[in-house]
Amino acid sequence: MAMSRQVLARREVWAIIGAGVLIPIVFSIPATEVSISKGVQAVYDKVESIPPGGSLLLSFDFDPASKPELEPMGRALARHAFKRGVRVVAMGLWITGTSMAEAIVRESASEFGKVPTRDYTFLGWKPGGYLVIVEMGQDLRKTFPADFNRNPTVGMPVLDGLDSLRDFDYVVSIAAGDPGVEKWVIFGRQKHGFALGGGCTGVIQPGLYPYLQTGQLDGLIPKIRGAAEYELLLRRGHGIPEGLASAGMLSMSFAQLALVGLIVLGNVLHWRSGKGTGR
Amino acid sequence: MVPRLRLAWLVVPVLGVCGQALAQEGEGATVPLSAPTGVELIDRPNDDGKALMLLWDVMPYDAEGVVYRVEVAAGEAPFRETASLAWQGGSRFLSSEQKWPFWAWRKDDRRHLHVLTSFQAEEPDAAQAGGSRLVEKSLEPLTRYRVRLTVLRGEDSAWAGPLDAVPVGNLFNRVKLHNLIYTLLFSGIILVYIARARRRELFLRRIPGLDAVEEAIGRGTEMGRPIYFLTGRYDIGEPSTMAAITILGEVAKKVALYDTRLKVPHTYPMVMAVSQEVVKEAYIEAGRPDAFSEEINFFVTDDQFSYAAAVEGMMVRERPAACFYMGYYFAESLLMAETGAETGAIQVAGTDADHQLPFFVTACDYTLIGEELYAASAYLSRKPVLVGTLRGQDAAKAILMAAILAGTALATLGAAAGWSPATLGYVLDAFRDFGG
Amino acid sequence: MFLQRQVPLAICFVVGVVFVFQDFVPHHDSEQLLTVFTDWGIIITGFASLLGVGSLIQVHWLHIKRQNAGWGYSVVTYVAMVGTLAAGIASGGKAAPDAQTGVMPAFGWVYNYTMVPLQGTMFAILAFFVASVAFRSFRARSVDSVLLLVAAVILLVGNVPLGEAAWRWVMPEGVPGIADVGDWVMNTLNLAVRRAILIGVALGIVATSLKFILGIERGYLGGGD
Repeated sequence: MAMSRQVLARREVWAIIGAGVLIPIVFSIPATEVSISKGVQAVYDKVESIPPGGSLLLSFDFDPASKPELEPMGRALARHAFKRGVRVVAMGLWITGTSMAEAIVRESASEFGKVPTRDYTFLGWKPGGYLVIVEMGQDLRKTFPADFNRNPTVGMPVLDGLDSLRDFDYVVSIAAGDPGVEKWVIFGRQKHGFALGGGCTGVIQPGLYPYLQTGQLDGLIPKIRGAAEYELLLRRGHGIPEGLASAGMLSMSFAQLALVGLIVLGNVLHWRSGKGTGR
Repeated sequence: MVPRLRLAWLVVPVLGVCGQALAQEGEGATVPLSAPTGVELIDRPNDDGKALMLLWDVMPYDAEGVVYRVEVAAGEAPFRETASLAWQGGSRFLSSEQKWPFWAWRKDDRRHLHVLTSFQAEEPDAAQAGGSRLVEKSLEPLTRYRVRLTVLRGEDSAWAGPLDAVPVGNLFNRVKLHNLIYTLLFSGIILVYIARARRRELFLRRIPGLDAVEEAIGRGTEMGRPIYFLTGRYDIGEPSTMAAITILGEVAKKVALYDTRLKVPHTYPMVMAVSQEVVKEAYIEAGRPDAFSEEINFFVTDDQFSYAAAVEGMMVRERPAACFYMGYYFAESLLMAETGAETGAIQVAGTDADHQLPFFVTACDYTLIGEELYAASAYLSRKPVLVGTLRGQDAAKAILMAAILAGTALATLGAAAGWSPATLGYVLDAFRDFGG
Repeated sequence: MFLQRQVPLAICFVVGVVFVFQDFVPHHDSEQLLTVFTDWGIIITGFASLLGVGSLIQVHWLHIKRQNAGWGYSVVTYVAMVGTLAAGIASGGKAAPDAQTGVMPAFGWVYNYTMVPLQGTMFAILAFFVASVAFRSFRARSVDSVLLLVAAVILLVGNVPLGEAAWRWVMPEGVPGIADVGDWVMNTLNLAVRRAILIGVALGIVATSLKFILGIERGYLGGGD
């Protein structure tokens, strides 16, 4: 019996993909190194160019749904900044991601012995979506009078000289949707002209390419692969061991190659069943 | 006279003067230090009055090892160093590096430029009684600042100044002049076509996705199943959401006429409130106010995947006859559209989220691509004024296409004829984004 | 009628025109104006969430009262909403473990062990949906679909290190890496089409915004003209 498209149903396709994801994890197969894309290299170079004592604003614009895909790049960026002695100011535009983002920043800071309010702060979340970006462009302390842990932002050492968005050496939004990187381009960078980089899920990546090509974004870390590239750069440049993204790359490899196999199989069966010849 | 001067800008080869400065690079180390000349402290134009610009001449001693120190003081406070500019590697801090278009800034390779946005100030230290600490503060509008420029090379030094200036806010940002022109131009074109449309009817091509609206609603009536309408994942301030709500109004009118059930699950409360009014008015206009229910529009959650899960659950339980996905979507698009397809609903999507189009095209029966979403209200209502805007959009698009073709031809010609990047840059400035 | 029609249209016109031009006025007073309106926007957004909660409570209450099909889910919604709210208030909105004791607050439990895995699962399902859609759609039926199929395979293989390694092993020296070929497909072929769509969308946005600002399109007020 010819195995047609109907015979290989959704659930069987899902089972094959599931197996592709699980096998490398269960058998702990080591991953091979990824090649570095220009967008990821650009973000890395920009963070590398911030002088010690300079400032990086990290906006965690995602919720726990995208945690597996975006948390590794959040950690990698925070680690990079802390390793280089750059001040980190973090925040989020998605309420449900607040506690997760706080944990990412706090845990990364503690790895490098960084002190809250002096070396870093997590400002938290505020309602308004992109309006928060607009307001931060006017007055950072008015937008966030206190940080997530209720420390007043007026007089907070980590915010010295940082009155609005344009005072940051670099701003990176790690986003899963809206409000996210696109809103940072339109309501942040366009208006205030600061350096902006992005990190994103694979689903919204193609939508951000136009901004990357025009230079409205000066770098982009796309999906788990981008995070794996960043982790590799961190190991090469600073000896920081790779994290979750690199570990997941082999699962990605197996699952995507399984999908390619399925597509090829589907076409072979399609042609053998005669549909491909126009019958 | 003025146009001639402008033309002269185009012709003067900037590289010539730049060569003079570069030639000195090697010799600079032997030239004795002297106070920097041509030092100017000016208010930075095109801003909100929170920055100053310090300009001075490229000096004969500029070479590796030379450092310019900028010291700033607010009012009569003591000077404190705010920047240390080292002539090393590729760092030249030239006036020509200012990323502004030619009509807003005259780039000059013979002048140095440093933009001052902050300074060091002393303030009491809360952690240490009676002590003080240095903090970095932003420049404030209408405050007098003094600046001193010192040049250093090893043990040698020379300085210029102090100079003083007051930053002031400007009433027009010349950097965005081209944006203003384009805004007025495109708005004007659309208004002209709206005026024309009032006089005579304009042709509108068929949009199959919108022709299917009636079919989908009729199917719902026959099957006795509800119609789902989703307004997207953007809040009320976004044009795509407004376009979706306008389409909802037209769909609701037809639903009311057919006496079918309509369900509009929302992800933003304000969109829900506006949709409620639109649907209510649509039912009244269709002559069926009795069929209207406050339960048609309801809030689910503003969380992306919780919303998707809730809508999918309802789809599986109620098996809607038709699903409309209008507005902007993210990753939830395929989850909902695939579930809708599984339940056998006829599906029409309309989105300007270009990254979600492949998913909708695969899982839906009809998809309105990009601008078709914005054309939908005109198409469904056939009001001449709205149809006129579509013609205006087409005319604006023709201008943009001509600009793209002309730009490509110019860049190709420039490359073939060996024009300097600076010459082509003058033209390209008109199409470039300069941020803030 | 005057309050429902003319006043909103007048407000829309004035605010629309002012803020189109505000973008070109960098003066601090102009920025201040933007700040004031942004503050209003943020306050309105905050209060609007009450509207959402009100709707949620009402809709689910009606489901339970009428015992509609699946009314049990409405009970679950109430329990989850009240339970999360109570945990949040009890924990002062904090999900992080206490710095001294290391004890996870109640809200932390709800957040880390309910919300995070549930949401992660929902997003992960997308990968499976994409796989089944890809399997169904990528068929070599015509020249166009063959092009689509080839582009998809290049991107899928080029996206993962194992695919890159296999490509290097199969291809002779000097052939560009598959990741580079994938980048070219995305940044050249795909982006050209995407830009064309974006230009159309941008003009659509300009026209739609203009229609709203000038009161030509009044559908959002309800009842067409």
